[in-house]
Amino acid sequence: METAIQIITYGVIVGAVYGLVAVGLALLLGVMKYLNIAHGTFIMLGGYIAFWLFTLWHIDPFVSIPLVMLGMFIVGLILYRVLLSPLLKSPVGLRIGNSMLITFGLLWVLDNAATWLWTSNVRSITTSYTGEVLNIFGVKLPYTGLAGFGLALLVIFALHLLLTKTYFGKSVRATTQDPEAANLMGINIGRTYLISCGIAIMLAGVAGAVIVSSYSITPAGGLNWLLIAMIVVVLAGEENINGVFAAGLVLGLVEAVSVFVTGASYREVIGLVMFVLVLMFRPQGLFTRRVRGT
Amino acid sequence: MLEISNIDVYYGDFQALWDVSLAVGDGEIVTLIGSNGAGKSTILKTISGLLKPKTGSITYDGIRLNRLPAHKIVELGICMVPEGRRLFPQMSVLENLEVGAFLSQARQVKGDTLNWVYEIFPVLRERAKQPAGTLSGGEQQMLAIARGLMSQPKLLLLDEMSLGLGPLLVQDISRVISEINKLKGITIFLVEQNVRLALALADRGYILENGRIVDQGDAKVLWSSDSVKNAYLGVGPVTEKG
Repeated sequence: METAIQIITYGVIVGAVYGLVAVGLALLLGVMKYLNIAHGTFIMLGGYIAFWLFTLWHIDPFVSIPLVMLGMFIVGLILYRVLLSPLLKSPVGLRIGNSMLITFGLLWVLDNAATWLWTSNVRSITTSYTGEVLNIFGVKLPYTGLAGFGLALLVIFALHLLLTKTYFGKSVRATTQDPEAANLMGINIGRTYLISCGIAIMLAGVAGAVIVSSYSITPAGGLNWLLIAMIVVVLAGEENINGVFAAGLVLGLVEAVSVFVTGASYREVIGLVMFVLVLMFRPQGLFTRRVRGT
Repeated sequence: MLEISNIDVYYGDFQALWDVSLAVGDGEIVTLIGSNGAGKSTILKTISGLLKPKTGSITYDGIRLNRLPAHKIVELGICMVPEGRRLFPQMSVLENLEVGAFLSQARQVKGDTLNWVYEIFPVLRERAKQPAGTLSGGEQQMLAIARGLMSQPKLLLLDEMSLGLGPLLVQDISRVISEINKLKGITIFLVEQNVRLALALADRGYILENGRIVDQGDAKVLWSSDSVKNAYLGVGPVTEKG
């Protein structure tokens, strides 16, 4: 019984981080129809910012997050202005492909720049509480994991509120569903894209800060996280940002259970098998209710 | 208030409009009729800023619209209800209406406008929480018009509002259009394939064929003219004449 609870708790904690990892990718894909292959690399970049803030100035990673967010938001604005906005001229059907090519190139540039600047060493943050666990009736909860879980929950809830309760959020969702009609309602869609891109990269940065405190980062580590983000987005269903958190939890739980049953070597395979199965049998995603289009 | 002079509009290399000029005066209902593919929607898209004319000019209350982006044109009080409704299907009816009032000047009076459009289309109040994509075709058209009204337009552009709707609904909606024109003084520019409806509703009309204006004039005069018979016959067989 304790083992079962331990597995589920572990799955939920990891799953929340998976949701956080994927949400920026889902946002950019939903709003702009851009698939950001460099998403994982931006996660690494956010992790490096948190790492250096901790290493040089001893700022706790969960305290430095506002700084990471601000920095990555600006990175996102620059990314949009320099690389992504020119792609808007291509028809929507070509946007995914074109954005993949451009961000794939960006991934190699950033990877190599990070290796050159900060070496390819594995980096992680060891705080005073790293490795310590909260023991509740024999169920062990690592503090960093709990903090990451709480933060993921907070960030995704905040994003949900932003998208559903504010005028800006409604303009983002309207632009997602029909950019031309949104434009006809007086929405400056270029500005909506710009801010959404900033937010998407900012969310990648938050995920990086969580990862560098609970796991570790390397310049090339982004690809693994991209893979996880893509699996989660497929599970959630394209254009379903609300489903991302739930899909992250599903992936986390399934992985935790399968690691227990089959051993850790098959962990990544399980995710990919789910990826293929969902695409084959439920391509709209696990958490998308189909609403008849107009 | 709206004046289009000698515009040519292209889709890439393909010229869709040739030397088109027309004017819509304050408080009028003006219609543009013509067969499928004549370029009617192209004119509306050019007015609302989705397409840019290559030559010629479009002015609204003396302001040149040619180079303005679409969202700036809405700010001037020109709102288009696009063909095919183009609602935000996964957002609720209320959210669609709220997005309609996105501009700050419309946002300030959102509550009053909302009550007003609910009065015009009571069914929207009942369906406020429902996703727009689950409405029937007629309700969707009502929502599309209501969403346009939420922006407090002075000039409402309506693209094929009768398309795909039953005759009773079309009657209802045209009554509403003529009411908002008379009671609120909102100018209407109506693009229609349903010539009978359009000319019954409008004060004046223009006839577009192959991207050129071929005739214009008082709606009643146009109704009995040869060019209307041609445009009308272009749509389908005439069984009776009104």
